[in-house]
Amino acid sequence: MKLELGYIQITDIQFSKESKVENGTLFVDADAVKAFMYEDDDVKEWVKSFSFDIAKPGESVRITPVKDVIEPRVKVEGPGGQFPGVIAKVDTVGSGKTHVLRGMAVVTAGKIVGFQEGIIDMTGPGADYTPFSKLFNFVVVAEPKEGYEDHKHEYEHAVRIAGLRAATFIGELGRNVQPDSSESFETLGIKEGIEKYPDLPRVAYVHMLQSQGLLHDTYVYGVDAKRTLTTILYPTETMDGAILSGNCVSACDKNTTYHHQNNPVVAELFAQHGKTLNYVCNIITNENVYLADKQRSSDWSAKLCRLLDLDGAIISQEGFGNPDTDLIMNTKKIELQGVKTTIITDEYAGQDGKSQSLADADPLADAVVTGGNANQVIILPKLDKVIGMLDYVDTIAGGHAGSLRPDGSIEAEIQVITGATNEMGFNTLSAR
Amino acid sequence: MVKEIERAGIPVVHMCTVTPISMTVGANRIVPTIAIPHPLGNPALSPEDEKILRRKLVSKALLALTTEVEDQTIFEN
Repeated sequence: MKLELGYIQITDIQFSKESKVENGTLFVDADAVKAFMYEDDDVKEWVKSFSFDIAKPGESVRITPVKDVIEPRVKVEGPGGQFPGVIAKVDTVGSGKTHVLRGMAVVTAGKIVGFQEGIIDMTGPGADYTPFSKLFNFVVVAEPKEGYEDHKHEYEHAVRIAGLRAATFIGELGRNVQPDSSESFETLGIKEGIEKYPDLPRVAYVHMLQSQGLLHDTYVYGVDAKRTLTTILYPTETMDGAILSGNCVSACDKNTTYHHQNNPVVAELFAQHGKTLNYVCNIITNENVYLADKQRSSDWSAKLCRLLDLDGAIISQEGFGNPDTDLIMNTKKIELQGVKTTIITDEYAGQDGKSQSLADADPLADAVVTGGNANQVIILPKLDKVIGMLDYVDTIAGGHAGSLRPDGSIEAEIQVITGATNEMGFNTLSAR
Repeated sequence: MVKEIERAGIPVVHMCTVTPISMTVGANRIVPTIAIPHPLGNPALSPEDEKILRRKLVSKALLALTTEVEDQTIFEN
């Protein structure tokens, strides 16, 4: 399977009466975006109103509470469309050609679960901890209808769909724009791969998806990941919108949709493909709340690694706490099949960094990359403008009573910052 | 907490869903429970059936508490 990504570099976003991409500037008619979002019945039923804003790198702007970040794209050649099974009809994606509006994102914000959303600062010390401060962000703030508190699952669904629809609308504007650059990615069949690279180690990516329920969910071709069995994807399917975030969970290490679209493990394995290793495929596996599910899913990860005759696997986790057990079960069982592993995780080692970093451990998990310590404390100065609201800063995971100080600054753990300790290694924190 | 209470000489049963973590942290008597968001109940059951389930779990925990163990033990049945 072969996918070509054509990158259209976006260097500015402006509101306009006409929506288009011209010379790197995205012009957006916010009313047209709104109308497109409200075409969905669930959005109509649950979202009282939308407001729109633009946040640019370096501006004194704080976006909170952030739900999801999405990169606008459009399928220009080949089967399928963006967000198959959710926005586009179900069809296998990952081949043909897709245009990407690079350098920008759609950010959805507003109250859902409040304490489980995040902060994106566009300048100051907080900006260093989130990759999204470097993007031009088209921010959609959603306001729920009365009585949503008893229907949070329905409301989360509506805001998730609204964000994906906004990204679809904007992505469509890139359909007839000539990309500034392009790249191709190809995965061969099993036998072809062995014949082409007989001497290279066979490596797969075991991609763990948050699926604890209670608004901690990921969707694969529209299927709730907690109802899936461990399975195989072409890496380009992930790059082409097959996996979506439905997560309202600690901001620092949840994988937003943008992370799935731009998974750095996939990018790096492709960069090494045919040189130092043979990148065989992605194995996706969930992180459920029943022990039997954890056992079954990790059994299947190990079984697939053996069946594919892998030499090595890179395993990335999402979230923390009980998913540490999924991570360790996967690692241990895959190692026992004779397949070498390296895991990517993050740490909750206490504010002083002296506590045990993970809830579970095993001697076989002896190759670990960390995305940083989520308990590290940071002071975020007051910024001139807030997109969204500061109502949840004290209660957000990683905040505490008094986090929002009288002078408008925030003292909190970096857990509150969207993407700060990302376990795909998307951000820059690590340790040696 | 399990280890500190046992250190004070009082036996403890750790009722939990993710028993591997309980093993890693060193609990001696472990009773597996239902699910992480609802360890001692199951909202999928009727209230009557759920009460039976809950009583069973507590009885199992009491049995574990009064059972001598040589090593870390998970009380599966």
